[in-house]
Amino acid sequence: VTTALLRKSPDYYTIWNVRRIILKEGFLNNADDETTNKIYTGELEFVQENLKLNPKSYWMWNHRRWCLESMSQPRWDRELAMVGKFLEMDARNFHGWDYRRYIIRQLDLKDKEAKDKVLDRAQSEFDFTTTKIHQNFSNYSAWHNRSTLLGKLAEDMSHEEREAIVDNEFDLVKNAIYTDPEDQSAWLYELWLIGREERSISILGSSVISFHPLEIVVAFDETVEMRKPFTVSTRVEHVAIPLEGEWKATGSDSTLGSVWIFQQAPGAVYGPTVEIVIFSDDVCAVRAGSKLPSAVCYELETLNQNLEDISGRLERLVVGQNLMYDVTKRIGPISGPDGTLETQVVHPKHRVTSLTESDTLDGRVALLEREISAVRELVELEPECKWPIQILSTLLSELRKTVSIHSTHAKVIDDECIELQEKLITIDPLRQERYEDRRSQLVFDRETLQIIQDSKRFPEIEYATKQPRNLDLSMRGLTYIPISSYLLHLHTLNLDSNSITSTRFMRNLLNVRRVNLSNNLIERLEGLQHAPSLEFLTLENNMIAKWEDVAAGFVFWGEGKLGRTGGHVKVLLGNNPVVVNEGGEYVLEKRWEDVGEVGVEIQWQSEELRLAEEALLAAEGEGGISSVLMDGSRRVSTTVVEFAGVAH
Amino acid sequence: MNDETTALDASAPELLLDQHVKYIQALDTKKNDLEYWLTEHLRVNGLYWGATALHILGRPDALDQEQIVEYLVKCQHDNGGFGGHIDHDPHILSTLSAVQILITYDRLDAIQVDKVVDYIASLQNEDGSFSGDSWGETDTRFIFCAINCLSLLKRLEDKRLDLQKTIDYVVRCRNFDGGFGSSPGGESHAAQVYVCVGTLTILSALHHVDADQLGWWLSERQLKNGGLNGRPEKLEDVCYSWWVLSSLSMLKRTHWIDAPKLIRFILEAQDTETGGIADRPGNMPDVFHTVFGIAGLSLLGYPGLVAVDPVYCMPRHVIQRIGLADKH
Repeated sequence: VTTALLRKSPDYYTIWNVRRIILKEGFLNNADDETTNKIYTGELEFVQENLKLNPKSYWMWNHRRWCLESMSQPRWDRELAMVGKFLEMDARNFHGWDYRRYIIRQLDLKDKEAKDKVLDRAQSEFDFTTTKIHQNFSNYSAWHNRSTLLGKLAEDMSHEEREAIVDNEFDLVKNAIYTDPEDQSAWLYELWLIGREERSISILGSSVISFHPLEIVVAFDETVEMRKPFTVSTRVEHVAIPLEGEWKATGSDSTLGSVWIFQQAPGAVYGPTVEIVIFSDDVCAVRAGSKLPSAVCYELETLNQNLEDISGRLERLVVGQNLMYDVTKRIGPISGPDGTLETQVVHPKHRVTSLTESDTLDGRVALLEREISAVRELVELEPECKWPIQILSTLLSELRKTVSIHSTHAKVIDDECIELQEKLITIDPLRQERYEDRRSQLVFDRETLQIIQDSKRFPEIEYATKQPRNLDLSMRGLTYIPISSYLLHLHTLNLDSNSITSTRFMRNLLNVRRVNLSNNLIERLEGLQHAPSLEFLTLENNMIAKWEDVAAGFVFWGEGKLGRTGGHVKVLLGNNPVVVNEGGEYVLEKRWEDVGEVGVEIQWQSEELRLAEEALLAAEGEGGISSVLMDGSRRVSTTVVEFAGVAH
Repeated sequence: MNDETTALDASAPELLLDQHVKYIQALDTKKNDLEYWLTEHLRVNGLYWGATALHILGRPDALDQEQIVEYLVKCQHDNGGFGGHIDHDPHILSTLSAVQILITYDRLDAIQVDKVVDYIASLQNEDGSFSGDSWGETDTRFIFCAINCLSLLKRLEDKRLDLQKTIDYVVRCRNFDGGFGSSPGGESHAAQVYVCVGTLTILSALHHVDADQLGWWLSERQLKNGGLNGRPEKLEDVCYSWWVLSSLSMLKRTHWIDAPKLIRFILEAQDTETGGIADRPGNMPDVFHTVFGIAGLSLLGYPGLVAVDPVYCMPRHVIQRIGLADKH
């Protein structure tokens, strides 16, 4: 019965279960070896027959595995031959490839002691993929399988043998990409072979942003999660006394961010110098593969409390290679959290390919230059094909990691990569926004070179010693702000006429007074609660349609630094749909072309002021207040911004 | 509700909302079709697909909820698992579907939740993976079913689970191209990418994914006709509008594919006579492709549809109601 049913409906999984139970408890129960073998062989034939009609049925392949795992002497070689036939019929059948890998695993398990047998098998599987690839260069499944085998084969090889096998791979890839440059498998395999330099997290810098209470900011160049709070202490006569307080990231999720703020517990004191120590395990990057290579220590002067003077001048003390640099104000090395000194780390190896390493950068540079020149040839031969262009851009970005960020070489690379992304936008419009994002990253990097410098711990970076106050990024075609922590020290930022859709980057702009976001694609404000110094924000000619979308940017005002200092921000909203949509209390009747500036002034109350107002109301009743202090609602007329109340 | 103004291609067909509703309602009545019986083992899954589609279309009452709840209760076994139909063996795929339907209807009270958790916990293997049922097949799809279901039931903290091992196992399924396969060494495939990225999202372990690299691979699934395929060199299929798009959404890169072109492709795959959506224009519709086409449209901001959650493939307001929406 089950046979008939399964022929008609091979995915009726319950019937497969029933069949196996019948076999186990019935026919196979107490059967002798010969009968058992016959039964399983029969099952395998049954499956094979039906697999021909349904080569993609999970349940069929499962049943086959069950047979082989239950048999005393499964014929794995026959299985390999069988699956080989299926892959002739359909070289991309992933059930077939998965099954093939399963057979190899089973065989390898049996040969656990015989390492050479395992290697031989890996080699023969590797050769099988070579055959498949030569049959059809676009066999992604074969390239994929190859990628799982190469590492295994190279494991016990000498450095020379590895170089040889990798060179061989590059030859095969070149063959494939010259034969069919449109095919993605060989290109992705090439990228995988070349590998990516794992970038370490850079700590850009640290500074004091407030003295009463003490507030310190630490900026990273990427989003990190704090595993353990960074140690903050003050030195009094050579003794380090820990300071109590809390670390929070900017942004609505205060456990993740690129900018972290320490606020000391209220009422606490601190001495003339404050020290922050960040151990590598304290931080975990959100981006795969990056970490802090070793501990870092910052020492901050607190005697000079003129913030104007300080911000932009950053004191730092770096623990390079885990060795303390002696500095006039420090005595002794840093102990790790468990009391031991961090041991010296051997100079890290540089990646050459994903399988080979070297002590110097030369091998890497040579490889990249070789591959870049081969890919350039293809770009010339096939100017309308996107793959060589994309890969060239990626390879150039890898090459850039080997040079100083301020070098001419870096500049040349940056300019070319930007051009390449612009070419891609025209030849592959389906994925236009991805190229625009990548272009934004490259343009942003190029335009912010004045803000950063190479760190002593190359290739890490840090804030430049002298921080610019203003940055003009207008008309750069930016779709987003890739590294907002770079902008931490700015006072003014011009982003006029770009394609920015979100204001969330502003959460890291702790010092900014004026931001120009006119002529962008913003629909909703977010993240303004941590911009404590913001005074003026222009959003003219964006896509904000409702008042809630404006208010949303300030909703968490009370939770951010703004709430404590009280805010007074002027927001210009001319030529947004909200100007037309909103009626009633907010009479934003005319468009800005007719009347000039149509503005909304948002005035927010600090907690102090609100309590004062309540007290006044309680004491003297409604009549007692001649002017009501507003807390964020506003009135607008066509030309004049009116708000009832006393400016704070 | 989606009220974003996604730029729509003016010549693209309209969403045949009423016809899709009728198509789904008619599904259980075709008892004379052989097809109906051949898909009996998928009945519970089919109900989840139909019910979810109706919710996204804004017509949650188009099916009899009470009847469905009663039916599902009959599908639960003593060990807590649900079968694909009454008297079908329990399996993690149908267990997830059953729980999703019951939570959407807010009728978890009808079943034994503790037993469901027992069943799922019993399916975790030494290496952190989950089997589909007691017969042992492992696949990253089943990991997602387990984690998804436990997350919906708020039982991820169960002491019998080793979630770190699960994360480690999923990471071992990551391939040379940044994608994920069905098991370690398995080729990258959009459906496996969805279940792996979904698992890592729920377990707050997305840092194991290179979002730029995987986003790139996912964006390459879009073909000239606007449709998405599941892996290189394969044909476009409406269901990938969901697997690829929701993955991109979890990686915050939905804008890396061309939305108007994809919307047009999905709408052209509608069956104008019977309602329902097929795998590609011109083919026969089925409820599987109907729900994923509609869910895809919702993720793309197609006007008039209820917002769908990219991780759970359930209405976003349901996920908000049970308190899971802020996680991602």
